Amino acid sequence: MKVKCYIQGMAAISPQSTFEGDITNMPLVRTESNRLACIEPDYKPYIPANSLRRMTRILKMGLTAALKCLAESGVSTPGPIVTGTGKGSLQDTEKFIKEIEQYKETALNPTPFIQSTYNSVNGLIALQQQGTDYNNTFVHRGFSFENALVDSMMLLQEGYTHTLTGGFEEITPEHFYIKSRIGHWRTEPVANTDLFNQELPGTIAGEGSTFFVLGAEANEHSIAALSACKLLYKPDPMQLTATLRELGADADLIISGTNGDSNHAHYYHLLNNTLTQPSIPFKHLCGEYETAGAFALWLAASLLKAGTIPSALFPMVQQLPSNFKKIVIYNHFYGEQHTVMVVERV
Amino acid sequence: MAERVFITGMGMVTAIGDNVAENLQHLRQQKSGLGFTDYIDTIYKQVLPVGEIKLSNEALFNRAGIPVQGGFTRTTLLGLVAMLEALQQAGIRNLSKEPTGFINASTVGGMCDTEKVYFDLINPEKEGDFIESINTLDCADCTQRIADTVGFHDHIATISTACSSSANALMFGARMIKHGMYRRMVCGGTEALTRFTLNGFNSLKNVDKQFCRPFDNQRTGLNLGEGAAYLVLESESFARANNSTILAELSGYCNANEAFHPTSPSPEGDGAYAAMKNALAMSGHKLEDVQYVNVHGTATLNNDVSEGRALERLFGRKVPPFSSTKPFTGHTLAAAGAIEAIYAVLSIQHGIIFPNLNFSEKMEELSIIPVTELQEGVLIKNVISNSFGFGGNNASLVLSKYEG
Amino acid sequence: MEELKKKLKEQIIEALNLQDTKPEDIDDNAPLFGEGLGLDSIDSLELMVLLERQYGIKVEDPREGRKILQSVQSMAEFIQSKQQPA
Repeated sequence: MKVKCYIQGMAAISPQSTFEGDITNMPLVRTESNRLACIEPDYKPYIPANSLRRMTRILKMGLTAALKCLAESGVSTPGPIVTGTGKGSLQDTEKFIKEIEQYKETALNPTPFIQSTYNSVNGLIALQQQGTDYNNTFVHRGFSFENALVDSMMLLQEGYTHTLTGGFEEITPEHFYIKSRIGHWRTEPVANTDLFNQELPGTIAGEGSTFFVLGAEANEHSIAALSACKLLYKPDPMQLTATLRELGADADLIISGTNGDSNHAHYYHLLNNTLTQPSIPFKHLCGEYETAGAFALWLAASLLKAGTIPSALFPMVQQLPSNFKKIVIYNHFYGEQHTVMVVERV
Repeated sequence: MAERVFITGMGMVTAIGDNVAENLQHLRQQKSGLGFTDYIDTIYKQVLPVGEIKLSNEALFNRAGIPVQGGFTRTTLLGLVAMLEALQQAGIRNLSKEPTGFINASTVGGMCDTEKVYFDLINPEKEGDFIESINTLDCADCTQRIADTVGFHDHIATISTACSSSANALMFGARMIKHGMYRRMVCGGTEALTRFTLNGFNSLKNVDKQFCRPFDNQRTGLNLGEGAAYLVLESESFARANNSTILAELSGYCNANEAFHPTSPSPEGDGAYAAMKNALAMSGHKLEDVQYVNVHGTATLNNDVSEGRALERLFGRKVPPFSSTKPFTGHTLAAAGAIEAIYAVLSIQHGIIFPNLNFSEKMEELSIIPVTELQEGVLIKNVISNSFGFGGNNASLVLSKYEG
Repeated sequence: MEELKKKLKEQIIEALNLQDTKPEDIDDNAPLFGEGLGLDSIDSLELMVLLERQYGIKVEDPREGRKILQSVQSMAEFIQSKQQPA
């Protein structure tokens, strides 16, 4: 979809110090295991204690990033709330499956069931902010967040002044193990800074919660403009090349979802061959997960706002461009869902 | 102005029928699909009634016309059966001829099958074929397998907003058409019964041990069901150019959040009221133009009070005939919105109002009662179809007779 | 009875994760819902789970549950009535 909208506020909880920090002097958090975990903020300033007591990790991360994002954007009501999540609350799903077994289907606590529902974060945001507008949750792997973006862009065209749009994901030790059984992760530990040294099967797991207030018009809060979001399902190389050319020919910086996974690296090679502009990776910062595209959008907007690329975060990139106005993000999730976003300076 | 959106194909499978015609037949015969489960491994086998489709997975493979193979969960298979009918009815043989998006809905993905092997999945000492089911854990798996089997290769998405999921899928698809992104979309949802959801709703103490009694004073809860339904949506200009058979118009819709409670609706039905009111306003029709409301009517204590109050607030003393079809199918969660959208189209096409089974006593909180007898030969031009979910997610659709 | 109530308060705090609450903060007769501890309908379901898991008492009807769960006092009385052979 090609419609221009404006990022009026944003917040990210990630394995980096993104929640509080300023990207220009943010240290790179180095990791040694293949499972990157979020640096969680203190939730108490955001969520009343009486609500906090029941909430599991991703609910807290989802709600808190949404609330901070709203506060930064200067809007008084959230407007429509649209999110994407590949896995929802894993902790709650795992807990409920186990309790069914443990208690032999009797005397079950309903809370994990309620919270395992994929739209529970949306419900919590609406509840805490009294957001009575449109509310939707997309749950389609690497298309989850990007479908939320498409939905939001349509809503802005339909007359809403702004939307609250986000993506959130968690990885649990149990789910990390499950996905290791189908080769999602590297078999040997790799430091995030060494992820791109060689292409081997698998990558590193990550998680995050990233929210944006998207506005139809530019205003004093505008951080960057999102001008296109395109989704390609299992594209053939020609289709992908054509889309990258169409959206990326005049970009001056590429943000690539490359993740060192030799099983699906050929798409990123195709990207490098098609768009030869300077390129930076981002998966060493957040790991691989379904809604990592939301982190990439946060990164693009942060860089456009800062006007510079902090070298501390990209030690593996030899030469970082100093002047850039238009960024193209290309990402795919295990070779199936491919997405291209265009982000521009306001 | 944006294009009108027409329904040009429908396919479904529920506890009362493996296709649209059988569903219509059993609605007319007032034959409920509720009973006890043959396929779920639960201590509630003979305790909690469900709306189960009495076809084994092998039989479903057969209906879907594909060989028995790993990775295809019951959720996927039910979806495929409904999808094949929808495409066939719309006369779509080759999806490559016209770019067509697919918006699916699911609440728990392939849980029906993964819950049976979950403890093996997390046990390093267990090896076997079950490992190929790992990807079926999420909600996108069924969507992609359905898409790959029938040949969708354009925009795909999966929506999960609990019990309103497929109503939201229809809305999203209709909006993509109105925005000119596609001329044709296929939208709906699929849901298989699981031990997970059965125990989930039972832990909320809102599952009835009897057949559910929507809008009855003695109601104590819902019965779960399974099913799948898809509707082919086309823009007016495409439907005309393509010479499509237009079954009805999706003339209005609204999704409104209630912001009241994680699972319970508000006592005065604020979300339901807003969703119905705005959907009707969008359709351009007036309150008196609505001849039938297919209510969400789960028969939980809270839903029926809330939804009933919303009807009374919106329509005042002239609440149109309304009924819940959940006593036929059970509550099919993610599939319910699409299943009931098809029932609304059938109501318009055949001039029928379906009875609300198992009703005997007016609710003390309300002054209205549902339709309890089958009504035939009624001129039905506009139907409101309600789907409300956890997280305060309220969706209403307006389906209208196509009159050129 | 006093011992039962003390234990019950500890169990309520643990089950509902009332982190900043101590057993002595809960008055025997104070309403658990709404004004008092500010509990809601999901908490009431969790308290019914507590009764079932800790005391083997099953409350089937949520409407009945509301009466039993009015206060620690009413919960304790209900438990005692169930434990004493009729």
